[in-house]
Amino acid sequence: MFRSASLRLAAIYTAAFALAVVVMGAVTLVTTRATLKQQFDDRINAEASALAQEFRTEGLTGVLQAVRERERTPGALDYGLVDAKGAPLAGELAGSKSPLGWSNLASPEQNGHTIRVLTTQLPDGDRLVVGDDDARDDALERSVLAGFAWAFAGVVVLGLLGGYALSYDVRRRLDAMTGAADAISLGDFTRRIPVRGSDDDLDRLALTFNRMLDRITTLMDSLRQVSSDVAHDLRTPLTRLRQRLEASQASETSAERTAAITAALGEVDAILETFAALLRIAQIESGARRAAFRPVDLTALARSVAADFAPSAEDAGQTLRLDADDDLVVEGDGELLTQMLVNLVENALRHAGPSAAVRIIAARRGAGAALTVADDGPGVPEVERERVFDRFYRLERSRSTPGSGLGLALVAAVARLHGAVVTLRDARPGLEAEVRFERRVSATLGFPNVPESSPSAAMT
Amino acid sequence: MKLLIVEDDKEGAAYLRKALSEAGHTVDHAPDGRTGLLLAAGESYDVIVLDRMLPQMDGLAILRTIRASGVKTPVLLLTALGGIDDRVEGLEAGGDDYLVKPFAIAELMARVNALARRPPPQEVQTTLQVADLKLDRLQRTVTRGGARIELQPREFQLLEYLMRHAGRVVTRTMLLESVWDYHFDPKTNIVETHVSRLRSKVDRGHAVELIQTVRGAGYRLREGP
Repeated sequence: MFRSASLRLAAIYTAAFALAVVVMGAVTLVTTRATLKQQFDDRINAEASALAQEFRTEGLTGVLQAVRERERTPGALDYGLVDAKGAPLAGELAGSKSPLGWSNLASPEQNGHTIRVLTTQLPDGDRLVVGDDDARDDALERSVLAGFAWAFAGVVVLGLLGGYALSYDVRRRLDAMTGAADAISLGDFTRRIPVRGSDDDLDRLALTFNRMLDRITTLMDSLRQVSSDVAHDLRTPLTRLRQRLEASQASETSAERTAAITAALGEVDAILETFAALLRIAQIESGARRAAFRPVDLTALARSVAADFAPSAEDAGQTLRLDADDDLVVEGDGELLTQMLVNLVENALRHAGPSAAVRIIAARRGAGAALTVADDGPGVPEVERERVFDRFYRLERSRSTPGSGLGLALVAAVARLHGAVVTLRDARPGLEAEVRFERRVSATLGFPNVPESSPSAAMT
Repeated sequence: MKLLIVEDDKEGAAYLRKALSEAGHTVDHAPDGRTGLLLAAGESYDVIVLDRMLPQMDGLAILRTIRASGVKTPVLLLTALGGIDDRVEGLEAGGDDYLVKPFAIAELMARVNALARRPPPQEVQTTLQVADLKLDRLQRTVTRGGARIELQPREFQLLEYLMRHAGRVVTRTMLLESVWDYHFDPKTNIVETHVSRLRSKVDRGHAVELIQTVRGAGYRLREGP
């Protein structure tokens, strides 16, 4: 029973209320006792004063008469009148030798009770004793106690029953959650935690869990997709590899054999490259590199990449130009950012055609910075602009060109790692890929992760 | 050269041993970490080729141990782990170079050769000279036969690397890693383009071509005339 959190909560509340009842009872008892004692004493005091008054008006005979009369009344106090020499004159307590003032005496009725008496001296030297049995007050206390005991029992029983009833609903909802979670852990990923629509804390918890489950399912689907993509994408080069090896086996001349084996090695290298790219993306996506982030000078990085790729572009009849603002420093991983920019530049050079003009633009954007690579090639149809970042996704027309379909997936992974947003836009004509960083950091700390002699490389 | 290969994969080790022996090297093989440690500490080698993942003892632990005992032999780490952090970790443990499996045997040979004759680090050369080619690192000037050659910064770095490894083959990957600091493989032929531009500046009009292409391996700066 105590393995239910709501029931345990109810039990704790019940215990707290019960404790409150006990404390209240104790306080009531103590104050009642004090009040009763005061009233008791007041009553005896008043009686003693009344009898002393009687003495002043009627003399000793009046007092004697009054004592005798009162003792005959049932439920009256106990009295005693003793003369100055100690001889009893009248009343039950006349035999007692109580001192002046308040004192306790054994009851003359021999019942084990104590009586509390007030002894006063009358003006003629006689002593007047007035007292009463304490036991009557004990009875009252007992009834107070009994009342509180009932209240205590009531609180405990009602608290537990009420708690159980209230927690029943919560428990049922939690049981439903547990059931759903169990079903999911057993493999039913379509199950979701029921949501009541009341927008209370449990509902919000259920919604959060469901969002998390949606995310996990998406990730698992994409993992499954990647695995089948990997298997599928490797099938083609592996088939070619097999064909090359078969050809080398069947070749008649050693020149033929060498050519076939060289081609086979090329296929193996392509496969290994795909693996390397996949591993790198996976490593980037793990986010572990974020710990090694340092200020990276995007200006210097863009300059260096532009300088390194401009000659090759030129040789291919293309142009690569740079347009960079100064002091664009962001927190990041220089090596990965370099690879990201290289991938974008290579992508543009490869797909934009033989006489393409490619531009690298590094610019301020408010408090942030943007690295853009724009070309004047055929671009990417709008419907496919998101999908080109998926692993292995390739446009229909570029299937024949070499490439693993992983270049932009890596770009997306690096951007995500840096909290940057990649956008593909129509450059009319051509394609513009922008990586936008949210925040620049202080330029004075920034050193690019490129060889020290390369910044400010003159452009060719 | 006398080499030590510490590698637990028997077939791989046998293949390496055969290839390196055929290239004229004396090769010792340690199949596990303990043997590797004993040999590395006891014998004198020109280069140690050390696998990072070994039974009994981690390759990095061996490396740290031999470095701690004062052995300065250049170490080439071999690994199946291609992660960026793995590479940094390997170099920080005292490795001199890092090669990710699988690799071409030509790549391994080039790297072993490059390591073997690496000048001691304390010796800072401010000028390099190969044949009639001179490079001044402080002035950042290059002359051939006394005539000044103007180079782009990257071309300067490239030539400096080739001159430091004069007479030895340097591979495309070695150049990408050392000159460009690229630890990935760009699809574009930036190395070829830069070498060809450098060659046209350095060798044009001279009878002796200093920058040579080694088919299937890489490039070499010719030492003698």
